[in-house]
This record gives sequence, structure tokens and C-alpha cells, in this order.
Amino acid sequence: MAVQIVMDRTGDTRHEFDSTDQKALGLAEERFRQLTGKGFRAVALGRDGGSGRLLRKFDREVEQTLFIPQLQGG
Amino acid sequence: MERVAEILRALLGRALSEHGPQAPALADVLIERAQSHLPPQLGVQLSNGYRAWAPLSPADCYAFCESHGTWDLASLRAALLCEGQHMYLEMREDHAVFRRSQRQRREDSIAPGGVDTSLLERLRRQTDGFDEDLIWQRAPGEFPFGAARAVEPRAEGGSETRSETGRRLLQWWAQRREQLVGSFSFLRVAGDVGSKRAQERGLKLLRENLTPLQRQQYEKYGYFDVLGGNTGKRYRIRHGRQMNIDQLDKNGRRVCGWCFFPQGSLVAGDIMLAQKLSLELYEVETLLVANRY
Repeated sequence: MAVQIVMDRTGDTRHEFDSTDQKALGLAEERFRQLTGKGFRAVALGRDGGSGRLLRKFDREVEQTLFIPQLQGG
Repeated sequence: MERVAEILRALLGRALSEHGPQAPALADVLIERAQSHLPPQLGVQLSNGYRAWAPLSPADCYAFCESHGTWDLASLRAALLCEGQHMYLEMREDHAVFRRSQRQRREDSIAPGGVDTSLLERLRRQTDGFDEDLIWQRAPGEFPFGAARAVEPRAEGGSETRSETGRRLLQWWAQRREQLVGSFSFLRVAGDVGSKRAQERGLKLLRENLTPLQRQQYEKYGYFDVLGGNTGKRYRIRHGRQMNIDQLDKNGRRVCGWCFFPQGSLVAGDIMLAQKLSLELYEVETLLVANRY
């Protein structure tokens, strides 16, 4: 199972999906587009705390995608 | 005051502010030697096991060592513990006095006839006034339990205008009440931000995505170091939600601070993870947004 993790005020919200299921993949891709369209950054999480990589487009091979809201200066 | 004593005072102040009036006793003062790229640390430990740490350089200790004649770690630690216990006692007393005065001020402000009458109290008085004005148009024995139950205007001659005014007033009061209820539900939702459960989830996600070294650093000192993905510069992310990032030089000294965080009311764990990943993955873009201080 792959998972998309969206940071929010409850800590995070997780959307799990089966990456072999075309319908679920379509929904996950749509979610990816919507969130990145809103300014979220998508990061493919690395193993054991590795920095992972920034995703510019949906990648069906990624197991864990973290969505980080847009940054602002304090 | 010697620099090391100032650091000790700051650590004790932090411990006090985190524990409030029931702050446990100071149990020990700790000194950690430098490890690879980590500078030496001064720490305080309370009797409940709580620890707080701050970086310490040999230069910070020199004046203290000279005035106390302590030239080895064990005697320095003993002298600092003795100094810290006096300091901590004074600070606890000051803290208790400060809390008492704050409580007294708060009680004065909400006391009947106090100077600072709350908005709610004023609203209640205004609306009570309206209710009294409207009593004349209620049927005997009828008391409106909800503002939505607007009183029907009586059809008797000259009282129609007054009934109409009363109906409008009741409608206004119903609207105000809904607004107030809305404000309180907003406050309740806002209170969920940073709820204990959310904070735990945030910290769990953070820990899962730290390297073993970063995790060890964070557990021990409450911060972890990150290397910038583009420049290779070292940043230290301290536990916190903002103004918690220091840029360090190759000797581990602070160069400047950076302040940035993700939008939305996120919990500390999420914010620190977002800061780590953004510095590692898109450092240049991040620093363009961040404020340097």
C-alpha cells in the first residue's frame, strides 16, 4: 500500500491507496495535482530519515509522499 | 554575572516556565564534553528527570572558574550545582510572587464593578435591557425561552408600532446570539490546534523521518542539525514553531538565525520536519522566503 501524507492542524492526514489499482491511482494523482496546485510541496520520503526527493509530478512508484504546505517567512 | 551563570539562569528559567508552580527541585548540573561536531553542553536536571541543555564554550567558564577556584570538571560541576540551587530557589520564589500578582490582577479585572468589564458582560447587560423593554408585549405567563420565538405583534390599535420595534429587537438579539455562539465554536476549533494528540502525531512523523544521528541529537538536546541541499551549510533546528533555526559555521558557531515555517496552524513536529526537508531539498528557494535575523 502506498500512502499520501498531508500535513495539517491535526498532525497529518493519511490517504492510503493500492498502487496496483488503476482507479485508486487516478484518485491519488488527482489529489497530488490538487494539492501541488494549492502550493503544497510533494516529497518522496526517504528511508531511515534520508532527505528523500522533491516530486514535480506524480510518481506511482513512490511509497510515501509527504505534502508540505507553502512556506512563509516569519 | 559570569557568562556561565547567565546560561545556567536561562536554563533554570526555561525549566521553571515549562513546569509552572509545581516545578520540581533542581537535582543536578551536567556538563557534556564536545562530541565530533557538537560543542560542549551545559545541562540542568530536575528531580523528575527533566533536562534542559545549552551550548557552552570554555571561554564562558573562565571567569567563573577563576572566581571559584575550580579548575577541573568535577569541582566546576559541584560549584555550578551549589550556585544553581541558590539561583533556582530565588527564581522559584520570584516566579510564585509573579504568578500570585497575575492571579490577583485577573481576579480584580473580572470582579463586579471592576474597571475592565468584558465584552460579554456588556453585551449581556445590553440585551437584558432589551428583554426588560419587551416584557410589556408578552402574553401573561409567556416567557420566550428562545429568541427565535419572536413575539407576535398585537393587533390592538396604537401598540402595533411598538410591537414591530420589539420584534426587530428580538431578531437582532437572535442574530447577536448566533454570532456569539459562532465565535465560541471558532474558539473551540482553534483550541484543537496543537492539541496533545496532534502534537504527538507531529512528533511521531518527525522522529520517523530523522536520521539516527538527528534522532539521537533531538532526543538528547532538543535540536538536530541539517545540511543544506544546495550549499552544504549546516543549520540547527531547535524544537519550536518559529525563530528556531540557526545557521552554523564550520566550527559550530552561530552565524545567523532564519525564520520560516509552513502556512496553516501546524504542530511543532510537522513544522520542524517541513523545515528539515525544505532545507535539504530546496534550500535556495526556502531561504528566499525566509527572514534572516
